[in-house]
Amino acid sequence: MHTYELDEQKVFNSGHNACPGCGEALAVRYVLNTMGPNTIGVIPPSCIAIISGPQPYSSMRIPVYQTTLEASAASAAGISRALKRQGKHDVNVLALAGDGGTYDIGFQALSGAAERNEDMVYVCLDNEGYMNTGAQKSSSTPYLAVTSSTPGGKPSDKKDIAEIMAAHRIPYVATATVGYPDDLARKVAKARDMKGMRFIVVLTPCLDGWGVADDGAVRVSRLAVDTGFFPLYEVEDGERYTINHGPKGIPVERYLEQQKRYRHLDEDQVKEIQAGVDHRWSLLQARVESMAGQARIR
Amino acid sequence: MSEVTRRPATGPAAASPGEVPTIWTTGWTDIFNTGTWRAATPIHEWRSSPCHTDCPIGNTIPGWIANIREGAYQEAWLALVETNPFPAVTGRVCHHPCEGHCNREVIETVVGINGLEHFLGDRALEEGWALPAPVGSQGKRVAVVGGGPAGLSCAYHLRRLGYDVTVFEARDELGGLLRYGIPEYRLAAGVVDAEIARLLDLGIEVRLGAPVADAAELEALEAEYDAVFLGVGAQQAKMLAHLEDGAGAGRVLDGLEYLRRCTEGVARDLGERMTVIGGGSAAMDVARSARRLGHTVSVVALESRATMPAQPEEIEQALEEGVALFDGAMVAAVEAGADGGLMLNCVKVTLDLGAPAGELRPVPVEGGEFALAADVIVTAIGQDPDLAAFGDGLAVERALLLTEPTTLATSRAGVFAGGDVASVDRFVSEAIGAGRRAAYSIAEYLNHPDACIPERPKLEDSVNRTEVNPFYFETTERRERVVAPAAERLTGFDETISAYSTEDATAEAGRCMSCGFCVQCDNCFVFCPDMAVQKDASAAGAESAAPSASEGAPATAPPAGVRVTAAVPCVGAPPDSGPFYFVLDQYCKGCGLCVTECPRGAVRLEQVNL
Repeated sequence: MHTYELDEQKVFNSGHNACPGCGEALAVRYVLNTMGPNTIGVIPPSCIAIISGPQPYSSMRIPVYQTTLEASAASAAGISRALKRQGKHDVNVLALAGDGGTYDIGFQALSGAAERNEDMVYVCLDNEGYMNTGAQKSSSTPYLAVTSSTPGGKPSDKKDIAEIMAAHRIPYVATATVGYPDDLARKVAKARDMKGMRFIVVLTPCLDGWGVADDGAVRVSRLAVDTGFFPLYEVEDGERYTINHGPKGIPVERYLEQQKRYRHLDEDQVKEIQAGVDHRWSLLQARVESMAGQARIR
Repeated sequence: MSEVTRRPATGPAAASPGEVPTIWTTGWTDIFNTGTWRAATPIHEWRSSPCHTDCPIGNTIPGWIANIREGAYQEAWLALVETNPFPAVTGRVCHHPCEGHCNREVIETVVGINGLEHFLGDRALEEGWALPAPVGSQGKRVAVVGGGPAGLSCAYHLRRLGYDVTVFEARDELGGLLRYGIPEYRLAAGVVDAEIARLLDLGIEVRLGAPVADAAELEALEAEYDAVFLGVGAQQAKMLAHLEDGAGAGRVLDGLEYLRRCTEGVARDLGERMTVIGGGSAAMDVARSARRLGHTVSVVALESRATMPAQPEEIEQALEEGVALFDGAMVAAVEAGADGGLMLNCVKVTLDLGAPAGELRPVPVEGGEFALAADVIVTAIGQDPDLAAFGDGLAVERALLLTEPTTLATSRAGVFAGGDVASVDRFVSEAIGAGRRAAYSIAEYLNHPDACIPERPKLEDSVNRTEVNPFYFETTERRERVVAPAAERLTGFDETISAYSTEDATAEAGRCMSCGFCVQCDNCFVFCPDMAVQKDASAAGAESAAPSASEGAPATAPPAGVRVTAAVPCVGAPPDSGPFYFVLDQYCKGCGLCVTECPRGAVRLEQVNL
């Protein structure tokens, strides 16, 4: 029987405004309570901003700077440099942004910070759309998923942010999800104890935006991994790959059928999504193999 | 924890050079009452597992299996004997209904509960562990009539409740069916002797060769004792008259008689070819004993193999031992055979599904006639209690003593009955369970200050397959007890099944999902997005000053609001490692994640009634 042992410090408070059963609130819990109180948070407009509390109240027992939607990485970089200028080298700087603020609107600031290898932990809580403003599509929304701005299903693929960030050759990139809380907490702790630009994308089911039952966040998030839809892996220095949890032979249909946003799919479309999942999984494995044993250049 | 200067929320003042800027945040969200959003509340509960529900003795099975997992064998055994004083016996011969609805089937296959009981029972005999001593003295005397499993179980529980007990046994030795009705290869006499001796060490008076056979003797007991338990069994074999006339005369024997002769070592030469009639455990016992004594054996049973009351493994082992099985068939008539033996005219039958419950109504299949040659016929088609001598003093219904189902009281005040004399559920464990129930009922009748009759949990209230979460359990093959090969088994009456090794027992105990029995895995705590599930009240009070009903409760006791609903014995300790989680009313939004992610159905969602 598998049990979870999490080393939590109490940073995240009860009484926050997340929906009942929210996957993102769970992710915030594991991320903040692992980062610990010696952390400064940077949060752009997003569900996380709502969860962090209505002013003047906060659900996070750390200093939090609420920045603009496009500027999370730039703000975090500024805070990080200012701290160093003050001689404070032991304070963690944590950017907590949604997929809109990461994949789309905050992307150039993120790419720039990554290129400069700024010293921060950047966590993208990815609920695959602009869920805070009425569930519009983002470039993270998966192929064929319905959003309020793609009522017939999104015609294009989900952007692969983990690979984009790995291509920046930053010290640490990881994928994680709330259905594997020990894996998520371990990755956050690992990132926290490193230096330079560290990036974690956390798949966080949005119950309302995805059309999932109130008790389903963990189940759905786990199915995303177990069907191979969202494999959990780490990339160090852009080239050392480690796969943590991959598909367990469960058809992707089991994942899709839990969500109303995929309810319109016909059999062929499900097959198409399955083929895409299989293809991406084989590409990931090929990358792991091709990178294995490579000498470290940087 | 970082301290923040708290100022009124007036917005940032213009910071002049050198001045600390105003801080926006003036408080934490934990002053908000997000619990008002809730439409349902999670409740941590001890719930009945299907094995517990199905156990005729009311064993809290997941509890002692958890002890085995931890290597605490004596603790496990003590939990087991809380209900059942004969684990080494039932570990061998129980029909284990506990394995019938085991939720482990959602992963691969049911847990070997009977094997684990066998392991504990033998371990206790090896180590010489003593049964728990009686609690106080009630200063009252109870007579137990019949030294079989029902009577001894009743005596055990009465003694532990503080009564002075005298057991009246008609034969020269205690044990009843355990000694005379079950062959040694399934249950060695040494095991029966040892478990009974341990029981008598509690201070139970025994009168051997002391039958209580008629109304006058019963009245004498009633005068001398405060209450009487009748567990005299069912000694009168049912016979088939149409086989005993004519050619069959003198060649038909009943199964109980045959087994008794086997145990007493005086099974006479009955002829080489034996036909056993019956489909239950007794028929298998006769057939397999006869094979060991060199007979050629065929079994004719009305039921199909799948529906025969005998355990599937018994049937399988009988077949391995060379017993020929004719299932779904009956013997219609007996003729003298050409070779000096008997010719049995048999016919294939189906059973009328419209027959009343408990009654078998065979319908011959056209063209299904066949013949069997035999020298002797043994019928093992059940027994009735021998109640004629008690006269009108005791109400009888359908050849059984009439008892009230909850209290097991007979029609005479102060006289209780259980086991085969009062029930058609002819299993050792049913008898032990009835003895236990009767003991608590007698205690209630005698105004015991603590005793109450154990409740029977219902299967529909037990944790079911949709309530366990298979994600948390890995596929693990079930361990099986080692069974001696058939050729070896046929050489004598040695026991054929070996108990688990410690390694096997530990592995098998590891397969138990502990349905409804919280093992403090922390999933409900880990998966709460609102940190509303707390492990102990001190942690909650210190950090967030939640004005919750649970605040200030000691960390060790289950806090207020944690219900205990599994049917545990009323006397003796309730589970002391109870659920120690509780839900903070103020924050819980009622999402149900803790319910869904509980691997074992120990958290339930209850609608909020406004």
